[in-house]
Amino acid sequence: MAVRAEPVYPVPWYRGRFTSWITTVDHKRIGILYLVTCLIFFGAGGILAVLMRTQLAHANEKFLSAEHYNEVMTVHGVTMVFLVIVPILAGFANFLVPLMIGSKDVAFPRLNALSYWLFLFGGIVLYSSFFATGGAAQTGWTLYPPLSEQYAGNGVDLAILSLHILSVSSLIGAINFIVTIHRLRAPGMTWMRVPLFVWSVDVYAWILVIVLPALSAGLTMLLLDRQAGTHFFLPNEGGNAVLFQHVFWFFGHPEVYVMILPVMGIISEIIPVFSRKPIFGYTAIAFSSVAIGFYSLLVWAHHMFTVGLATPLLGFFMISSMIIAVPTGIKILNWLATTWRGNLIFDTPMLFALGFIALFTIGGLSGIFLATFPVDWQAQDSYFVVAHLHYVLFGGSMFGIFGGLYYWWPKMFGRKLDETLGKWHFWLLFIGFNLTFFPQHLLGLAGMPRRIYTYNRGSWETDNLISTIGSYVMAAAILVFVVNVIWTRRRAGVRSGNDPWLGDTLEWYTTSPPPPHNFEKVPYVTSARPLRDLRRRLEERRA
Amino acid sequence: MPAPVRRKLLFACLSLTALALVLTGTALAGAGRAYPPAGSPNAGGIRDLYWVVLGVTGVIFVIVEGALILFVVRFRNRGRARSAEGPQIRGHTRLELIWTAIPVLILAGIITVVFYKLPGIKDVPAAGAAGPKMTVQVEGRQFYWRYTYPNGAVSINELVVPAQRPIYLVVTAPSFDVIHSWWVPELAGKMDAIPGKTNHTWFEAQSPGIYQGQCAEFCGIEHAMMLTHVRAVPNGEYESWVARQLHVSANIGRMTFEGACAPCHGLQGEGIIGPALKGNATIANPEQLRKLLANGKGKMPPVGNGWTPKELASLTAYLKQEFAGGG
Repeated sequence: MAVRAEPVYPVPWYRGRFTSWITTVDHKRIGILYLVTCLIFFGAGGILAVLMRTQLAHANEKFLSAEHYNEVMTVHGVTMVFLVIVPILAGFANFLVPLMIGSKDVAFPRLNALSYWLFLFGGIVLYSSFFATGGAAQTGWTLYPPLSEQYAGNGVDLAILSLHILSVSSLIGAINFIVTIHRLRAPGMTWMRVPLFVWSVDVYAWILVIVLPALSAGLTMLLLDRQAGTHFFLPNEGGNAVLFQHVFWFFGHPEVYVMILPVMGIISEIIPVFSRKPIFGYTAIAFSSVAIGFYSLLVWAHHMFTVGLATPLLGFFMISSMIIAVPTGIKILNWLATTWRGNLIFDTPMLFALGFIALFTIGGLSGIFLATFPVDWQAQDSYFVVAHLHYVLFGGSMFGIFGGLYYWWPKMFGRKLDETLGKWHFWLLFIGFNLTFFPQHLLGLAGMPRRIYTYNRGSWETDNLISTIGSYVMAAAILVFVVNVIWTRRRAGVRSGNDPWLGDTLEWYTTSPPPPHNFEKVPYVTSARPLRDLRRRLEERRA
Repeated sequence: MPAPVRRKLLFACLSLTALALVLTGTALAGAGRAYPPAGSPNAGGIRDLYWVVLGVTGVIFVIVEGALILFVVRFRNRGRARSAEGPQIRGHTRLELIWTAIPVLILAGIITVVFYKLPGIKDVPAAGAAGPKMTVQVEGRQFYWRYTYPNGAVSINELVVPAQRPIYLVVTAPSFDVIHSWWVPELAGKMDAIPGKTNHTWFEAQSPGIYQGQCAEFCGIEHAMMLTHVRAVPNGEYESWVARQLHVSANIGRMTFEGACAPCHGLQGEGIIGPALKGNATIANPEQLRKLLANGKGKMPPVGNGWTPKELASLTAYLKQEFAGGG
């Protein structure tokens, strides 16, 4: 074996006192803090989703009032985007990037801690807004003025404050990742030997650095309009209501790629390991990430096809949105080609990765409908969009994230999550997901707008009921995951060793969990699969 | 796990995947049920584009998901050791170039079709079978639609139009209001009603009938109640309706109440988000009522700001008749 079976340090790094978690600047512990916090917010956002689905199960249901529904709908969106997917990817990146590039830590460990604590604070501010005068914001996560300037209570102000704090947190996190990836790679790790997950984190971080200032500017103008008497977005005072949409989506659409690129990175790590093959087209995947990152800056107005843009603009944003489908398609075909003639091992991480390909493909294809702007005039702001975005962000991002959790859990905690429960988790989630979101395409085409708290059309009831039942199946799947986590911790299961999956990348070289300084010694990296190289060298020596 | 059990589990998983995909396929085929029949040439153009995109994406869907299932079945582990590797293929430049170029060509094709169909969707014809085009002002308001006809008549939520005549819609919202979106799927795609901005769209109802729609841009607490419908009638019937609508205040009063007041105060005035109307003191006081309608109060938007005196008087009379007595 190339790798040690027993940890060198008798007291593993994660068994500290409570206070050591608060004061820690270790990237691994901060990563785990991120992951745990995000999973808790995921539970909260999920409960909100189930409340909404319950309200929509039947026509004219009275389970939630209009006001409560609108609060729940807004906070669900903000939670899942800003408190779950973006930061949980920061969590993965925190834990994995230094391990994958053979570094002791990130470039700025204290800044890293600040970024986590700001994130937690931002989340608490958002949830505290439920108790503000007037309740939480009732604007949808997009906070469009003039509506968001109409509400008298403090819900919107707290949402703005929360997003401001979260942007600062993401921004310093992103700068930290960029410096880490560019400066702290192991000897021999040239750019063409960097793991694809790290490539994707680098693009993720660059996008955040470029677009977060736009969000901050937009939110600041909104706050000034609300509290300081300015009129940036108030048409009756000479402002422009559509301006905010441009600013918001200049941030908001790249944000979508922020939420998917690192997940594509996770998939690019899992598929080859469980196919027992190298990734097909490493260079193409790496540069596809860069291309997606670049084009993501040029597609924002496809969220605004119904505001009355001039035809040349409609054409431009349709074409740019379709161009971005090309690098995305390249990745999917490369993953498929990686499985070709492989030795496919269906452990839970692989199931989630294959589920990602199946579902993300649907989300990508429904995106073509939305990019075709005349079709978008029908589909925009309808349940078709709700279905599309969940196929991309849940069927895509969350499936990949769960795959990543099952894959790296043994590295983080020294034990594998239970495989049987893992498979239950996957299949329940896969079936529940499709039940919930597939019918929503049809509802949208039939004329059901998004963000309505009730409806009285009998013809929408069947699909809505199926969707609600599906959401309960998904909730059951998440409960199986929670049981799995508790079970694995309690039962103290089988130790996984350093390298349970026969991985390719450097994190599997060190102990599980890794010591505080990560590596005793970092091997000289000779390819994008340093661990396989080591294994082969050992075999040769043995032979 | 012993190998036979694992194999059984694997096949269970695979058959479930296959089932899920078959279901998805059936559902996709069932999209015909969901795609609304088009009652206007522009909605028809959009529907044609939808089918083009569905055809193209459907083929891609079958190829990608089919390959996925095929590979999963064909190259499954079959009891091989984890360390048994597949062929170490790192890429294939020609293949990769081909599967980059093909999507580019497909998308270029879709884009071409879009621009070919666009004039039929976007351009308003000057006249239809039943007469020349007619302009209607559409105003999105919290939480109702206000339609103004060429003769100055006004209707709330119900848009009455002559069938087989192009209806040119001038869509906006008052500068003090918020963004809405006018959407009647069978007749036309959405057009946002934005304060301080004027947008245009059109439709031509091919046959008389009622076409349902509602606001598609989240606009506040009663967004879900901001319904509208288009009633297309023969041209002659429209002419007499619009002449009557200009003068008969009982119609206007009831319509205004049902569209502008009922979403919050209830169809019987029982009170939902707003207070109950029955015996409400403001209703008995025309001056106070006018002020309330013009300025709003608390959660109540200024629903009556910008109304004609005729509309105001009709609503005031209607409210008085329905709710002032008997308190």
